[in-house]
Amino acid sequence: MNASILILVALGLSIVFGLMGIINFAHGVFYMLGAYAGWLTVELTGSFWLALGVAPLAVGAIGALVERGMLKRIYGTRNANFAGVLVTYGLAIMIPDLVRMTFGRPGKPFAVPKILTGSLFQLGATEVHGYRVFILLVTLVLLPLLWLLLNKTNLGLIIRAGTSDNLMVQLLGIDVARTWTITYALGAALAAFAGVITAPLVAVAPEMGGLVLIECFIVTVVGGMGSFLGAVAGGLLIGETLALTGMLYDVLADVVIYLMMALVLLVRPRGLFGQEGMSEE
Amino acid sequence: MLLAALVLATAPLYADYTPFYLGLLTEVLVFGLFALAYDLLLGHAGVLSLGHSAFLGVAAYTTGLLLARVRAPLELSIAAGAVGGLATALALGVFALRKRGVYLAMLTLALSQVFYYVVLMWTPLTGGTDGLGNLPVLYLSEPIGWRLSKRPITRYYVIVVIVFAAMLAIRHLLRSPLGRVMRAVKANETRAAACGYDTRRVKLVAFAISGFFSGLAGALLTVVLEFVPIENIHWQMSGTVLIMALFGGTGTLLGPFVGAGVFIWMRDFVSKHLEYWEVFVGGAFVLIVLFFPDGIVGTVASLVGRRRAVPISGMDEPLPDLAGLAGAAPRASGDGPLLESRRLSKSFGGLTAVNDVDFQVRRGELRSVIGPNGAGKTTFFNLLTGVLPPSSGRIVFKGADITGRPAHAVSRLGIARSYQVTNIFGDLTVFENIRIAVQSRVTHYRFWGNADRLPGVTERAREILRHLGLTAKRHVRGAELSHGEQRYLEIGIALATDPEFLLLDEPTAGMSPDETQRTAAFVRKLAGHVTIVVVEHDMDVVMGISDRITVLNYGEVLAEGTPAEIRDNADVRRVYLKD
Repeated sequence: MNASILILVALGLSIVFGLMGIINFAHGVFYMLGAYAGWLTVELTGSFWLALGVAPLAVGAIGALVERGMLKRIYGTRNANFAGVLVTYGLAIMIPDLVRMTFGRPGKPFAVPKILTGSLFQLGATEVHGYRVFILLVTLVLLPLLWLLLNKTNLGLIIRAGTSDNLMVQLLGIDVARTWTITYALGAALAAFAGVITAPLVAVAPEMGGLVLIECFIVTVVGGMGSFLGAVAGGLLIGETLALTGMLYDVLADVVIYLMMALVLLVRPRGLFGQEGMSEE
Repeated sequence: MLLAALVLATAPLYADYTPFYLGLLTEVLVFGLFALAYDLLLGHAGVLSLGHSAFLGVAAYTTGLLLARVRAPLELSIAAGAVGGLATALALGVFALRKRGVYLAMLTLALSQVFYYVVLMWTPLTGGTDGLGNLPVLYLSEPIGWRLSKRPITRYYVIVVIVFAAMLAIRHLLRSPLGRVMRAVKANETRAAACGYDTRRVKLVAFAISGFFSGLAGALLTVVLEFVPIENIHWQMSGTVLIMALFGGTGTLLGPFVGAGVFIWMRDFVSKHLEYWEVFVGGAFVLIVLFFPDGIVGTVASLVGRRRAVPISGMDEPLPDLAGLAGAAPRASGDGPLLESRRLSKSFGGLTAVNDVDFQVRRGELRSVIGPNGAGKTTFFNLLTGVLPPSSGRIVFKGADITGRPAHAVSRLGIARSYQVTNIFGDLTVFENIRIAVQSRVTHYRFWGNADRLPGVTERAREILRHLGLTAKRHVRGAELSHGEQRYLEIGIALATDPEFLLLDEPTAGMSPDETQRTAAFVRKLAGHVTIVVVEHDMDVVMGISDRITVLNYGEVLAEGTPAEIRDNADVRRVYLKD
């Protein structure tokens, strides 16, 4: 998995957890839906650039619906956090099959947009493809924007304040419910955006969300759940480790990242950039 | 239970006597056992695990490999499978229990995948994605006449006996002292720790037991299928068992079996009509979580039973007499301080909540700690009781340094507390609230015997309830008591651990003037038996009951002295009147 993409997906997971305390198992599904939305847009209009915009918007809207229609019912109930896991897990089982039902079992090919095909230059023995550079650039633009959104805007302030003291924010007369919907939709949109830019690198398939979800779990454990910097650092670390071990000895790649996670848990359970006390013993 | 046995014994008679039907029934039983083992954690210890595929899978492969590669006897292979499940659960638990709640669930999932990859990497041994086949199950086993023959009916009954025995064992376990501790940890982990239970270890033990029975299910699955599919160890198996447990209803014995039956019915029959049956399963699952969180068995039970109304007749009960709780004889008021803090400090980031506090309490004393909001009183309590580790300084109790000991260890030394915000086991009955606290001084991990028949414990719990004036409400859930009653119950829980030193954090908060007065009188009477430190805002109470008063301001000791001295202290007046 590409480190840039891992960062984007993990960030969405982390933001939702930070505010709502829910581990969003449907996150991988949103990623997959993003890829499908992108594929559909390209099929209908032929424009990859349009797909880049449509996918996050469409999936963000689905995310908002999920939050309003389902998750909203469980806030404030006993074991709300567990129920959040369970509901989103149910969606993670259901939606891939719905996609199979609608679009068929086999994956869909998704071509790299013409302007980005071909290799840009040689770097040692490997060719650097235009599309990979594109992904890197997009991530480099998007991350600071997201950081500004979360740290310098009103919405970001409310999100962060809601994380530390939800009740207090409500007492201040702020519509927390809307903030939660926006946050959940934002997480879904991020996953979808990552899904659509990954699509040209892999086949678009109903199963593509499962693997990325677990890799995101590892990223957030290593980086620190709920932390922006953690998601970036963790994504970089895990993504690069996967790439390196993948080149050297393919079979080991999956195991090595688990060992890294175990090591972090032993030495620094809160993760590299996690806050003290965040779901910690 | 008897009914269940009867149903199981006669089940083959109700339908066509085909190998297919029997095979299905056997599978339901084995998965039911797996779901029950799973629910030991979720429904009885309150831990959401998504790593059970590893327990089932490691056991299935252990049994399969022993049979296929070593040609070990069947009984040994099954036992080894169960032990394999236990060992896997312990290994996984040690890592995952460094977190809690949903974070723990996520960890179990990620960790369990390690085992999947090991199986995948080790294809020559495990068969990789093809699974592990060619098990000579049927030809090897010839022990004490229990030949597991190829006839499905024989196999069915052998499985019935094993599963039923496991079910009995689990039922026994849930009634044992350990089972009750698990339930207390589920109901309120903080409170359980404050009663002296090492909650993380309790959860680890629960992991191990759950792993053992999951492993047994995995071993049986291998024997039943004569094959180990790799799906057994894939994380989706954890999701499957979660769905089974929730469909049936967590916290019940029969629920997991019903859930397993419904799931397998969906898999085998719904999928015949609907190719995309996972839409159905996932949808049903979401609906159950949202609208019927008690599952099938739980929902049916509450429809049929309609919880019998408990007569609430607290009016004619004698007024509570908490002072009788602290044991008969007043404690000797020996020399030297019972508890002492030396230059104790705690900072959170840049904020110093407690700063260089030197504090001494003599045996038998009743000390009040007062101060404006944010003076660091509750933080100070959290330091003394091991809830928070201090940033610097020492805490000495009965001459021994106890700095940095965790909350449960502090409780076992004889320090008990109540909390500013009422902290009881809301889901347990009033009686069990007290009983579990009394039990903490007797046994923590005993997994045999009935917890209600522990010698001395029940009697002591009854006595405490009588003093609390809550005997008539002993079967009511703690959460259903009135606020004042909950405050008394909490003090009762604290005293039930038989402490020498009691910390009360705003015991009269939220009480009516009448209750406040009564509570103040109890605390005063209690002081003849236990050394007490109380944080209190009601100045009349403070002045009325205290031997000495310590005033905290901005985390530092502003003044200390008798009520009269404090009343006349210029600094204290300034802080209270001006700020």
